[in-house]
Amino acid sequence: MNEQYRVAQKLGLMFQADTPLPDDIKAWAISQLKAKSPALGISRLGAKVKPWPKSLQPDLMERDTMFANWFQRNKIGDSANASNAERQANQKENLMREKDQLKFSHRNVYGKDQVRLRFASFWANHFTTGDVHDNQNHIGHAIDEAILANLNGDFSRMLYKVTSHPAMLIYLDNIYSAGPNSNEVKWAKQKGEQAGLNDNLGRELLELHTVSPSAKYSEEDIRSTAKVLAGWGVFPGMLWGNNKITVKQKHAKLIQMAGTTDTWDFFKRDAAEPGTKTVMGKVIPKGKGGLRQLTDFLAAHEHTVNHISFKLTQHFISDNPSQSDIDYIANAWKKSNGNLDQIHRAVIERAVASKEPKFQWPMTWLFQVIRLSGATFFLGWDQVDDYDDSIMATRKIFEELGQSFWHVRQPNGYSSAKSEWLSGEMFERRIRFADAIYTAGKPSFTSQQIMNRIGANKTTRELVNSVAGRKEQFIALMCSPELMGLENA
Amino acid sequence: MPKVNLTRREFLKVSGASLFLAGLPLTGFTKDKPPGTISVILLEGGMDGLTAVPPFGDPNLLKMRKGLTPDNYLKLNSFFGLHPSFKYFGGLMAKNNASIVHATNFPYTKRSHFEGQNLMQGGGLSPFSETSGWLGRALDLAKTPGRSMSLDMPLVLRGMSDNDNFYPASVKGSSDLMTQLINSISMSYAKEGSEIFKKVSKKSTQKNSIVPRNPASLAKFAGKAMAQEGGPLSSVIKVDQFDTHASQGSDEYGRHGKRLTLIDDIIAGYKEGLGDAWDRSIILTLTEFGRTVFENGTRGTEHGYGSAGLLAGGAITKSRVISDWPGLSKKEQFEQRDLMSTIDYRSVCAACIENALGLDHDLIADKVFFSPKLPRVYNNIFS
Repeated sequence: MNEQYRVAQKLGLMFQADTPLPDDIKAWAISQLKAKSPALGISRLGAKVKPWPKSLQPDLMERDTMFANWFQRNKIGDSANASNAERQANQKENLMREKDQLKFSHRNVYGKDQVRLRFASFWANHFTTGDVHDNQNHIGHAIDEAILANLNGDFSRMLYKVTSHPAMLIYLDNIYSAGPNSNEVKWAKQKGEQAGLNDNLGRELLELHTVSPSAKYSEEDIRSTAKVLAGWGVFPGMLWGNNKITVKQKHAKLIQMAGTTDTWDFFKRDAAEPGTKTVMGKVIPKGKGGLRQLTDFLAAHEHTVNHISFKLTQHFISDNPSQSDIDYIANAWKKSNGNLDQIHRAVIERAVASKEPKFQWPMTWLFQVIRLSGATFFLGWDQVDDYDDSIMATRKIFEELGQSFWHVRQPNGYSSAKSEWLSGEMFERRIRFADAIYTAGKPSFTSQQIMNRIGANKTTRELVNSVAGRKEQFIALMCSPELMGLENA
Repeated sequence: MPKVNLTRREFLKVSGASLFLAGLPLTGFTKDKPPGTISVILLEGGMDGLTAVPPFGDPNLLKMRKGLTPDNYLKLNSFFGLHPSFKYFGGLMAKNNASIVHATNFPYTKRSHFEGQNLMQGGGLSPFSETSGWLGRALDLAKTPGRSMSLDMPLVLRGMSDNDNFYPASVKGSSDLMTQLINSISMSYAKEGSEIFKKVSKKSTQKNSIVPRNPASLAKFAGKAMAQEGGPLSSVIKVDQFDTHASQGSDEYGRHGKRLTLIDDIIAGYKEGLGDAWDRSIILTLTEFGRTVFENGTRGTEHGYGSAGLLAGGAITKSRVISDWPGLSKKEQFEQRDLMSTIDYRSVCAACIENALGLDHDLIADKVFFSPKLPRVYNNIFS
């Protein structure tokens, strides 16, 4: 592949045919970090690419209201007796998972900020959440507003915004956690009820999101972290869905609980643990401000810098990161006090310099194939709930691909190492998806045109020229060592 | 018959189980064919052994975890009970075809899912020390490296030269796999990709078999495959979401209880699929750690240490609960919070390998678990 496409494969999502290729690919990749692109997409198959409509991108408060409405209607209608049409109508009006997954896909297929989007996906995976319990209206919001919107700031801010986001608080069970000496626990004891601490988020905040076990923190540190987190929660869904009281009355109750009606800043004072806490030697004051002090402390910790520098290197540069690459990124981190633009810039510099091929995740490869070929493989936003004869529902695409940020999975997320993905199973799926993208997606370009455009290597050309049939050539091209990122270009 | 009847979508959403088959005997080695089959059910997240197999004879159990203990447990003996989710498993115990090991774990006490899972599959001396798994190494030693069968290969099976995964694909718009095309793609790879596409090519020559995607059906499918002459000697089914930090529940309708029901269904599926081969089969569960003795503030439990292991199969001829019970009082707990582990679960795995693959214990201890002094518990399970 020519240099532009080689770098776009490693750090981006590939150039579409109508995009002029930059002369200085490194400068282009760095400038991409600040690229401004709205969520682009199509309303229907064949429609022009436009920004996603505002009406399909509700804010967090609307999302919670919709979910509460869905819940009430589902219950009132007794879901077992409700007609299919009623269930579908309720889902269409109130649930966001299908729309958010489609928006994410459109953005990746049509976006003009491909490098930014790749870094956003890295962080969405680093801060894994999943569609458990009542989380489905939150995940898309967390990716857009907690991660993508904070991509040009400091890591410490992203860490704080993700940790306090409902998607994370729900996924790792923090929403009902209460300090052992909190009012809530005192009252529960008087009533003979159970209430107290849950250490799930505290543990993973240390182990996965920041310092990692190499920092050798203790079980007591985990508990103290959980105590800092106790009280951070979301609106009580029952309250929000209660249609017998007015919105004004609801707001009054929320303010009484947490001093705010903002569910992304929701610290329930009665569930908070009084007193200072000590985490890894750092004294954290009581109250709402404690979390930011803790996340700032963890964000700047040397073990966090090393842990995440390793992960970035493994994701973008090499399955077996070299110490010099890790150090280069860690140095940029330290020098800039954790500024993500500087950290990402360091990743780009090293990824461009390294000639090692990098095997791409299933979803990254899928988006790259679609962008290279000009195929249309995702339905339009007006078709979210429609059945199409040839194109799979978005949800199904990710199910069969075996990867999605909405899937329920373990909090350590998807591996960046190819060893976790090299299997007959996964490769069969790539063949089938290449086939489906050709058959249903009707690419705008032939394999020959694509090969000419990207400057395909000799192996790829020989492979494609050795098979007969346009579809077969397309499958061979997209599953070639070069396009899979497995062997050198 | 398995009880669950989930639609495929629900299954993918709620249960997240996947199947891996492994260990096809190499041609030329058929005379030395191992005596049995070994299957592992991986329980991701940390199964609560005190809920699954409540030691109701311990006076501290109800004092410490009333909200987590089922009222309607099945009495196994004067000390241990069985969770009501294990109806089928209970029946196997009555028929002397299932046993329980309690207060056991791999020797790992740090309570991280990812380190713990790595250790229970890798079987090494410390987390992340091994790139192969204990079952893969055992199959290699038994000269049945061979093929294994899911979307990613679990560490426990790694180590064999020729892995293969199995999970049915359903991609609309794609046609049958084209053998010749896939061979061409395979040939264009100089390195590891070549072998993997060869496996896809081989699959393209086999006729399609439709496998429903629920755990019990996967187990039945695995059982049937293992029952065939020349079929795989090993299989692994992974079930997730045992990590119940909140609203764990106590009975079969609770969050943990529903996961336990899946185990029960999987074992029932195996039994049905294996047919006559059941008599030479052993199935064991594996989980990274147990859960805290105490109930946390959100009606759940935190990561702990000791748990319970479930064993089933015709290779067991006398049912029992194997345990050196450490007690549940605060001073008897590990670090004053967890059930202590008094039996090294690697010994249990070694006994199952010895039974199914006919390998010598000392060899397993040394070459599979790198612990020549690993105690042998074979007679406690299989005699």
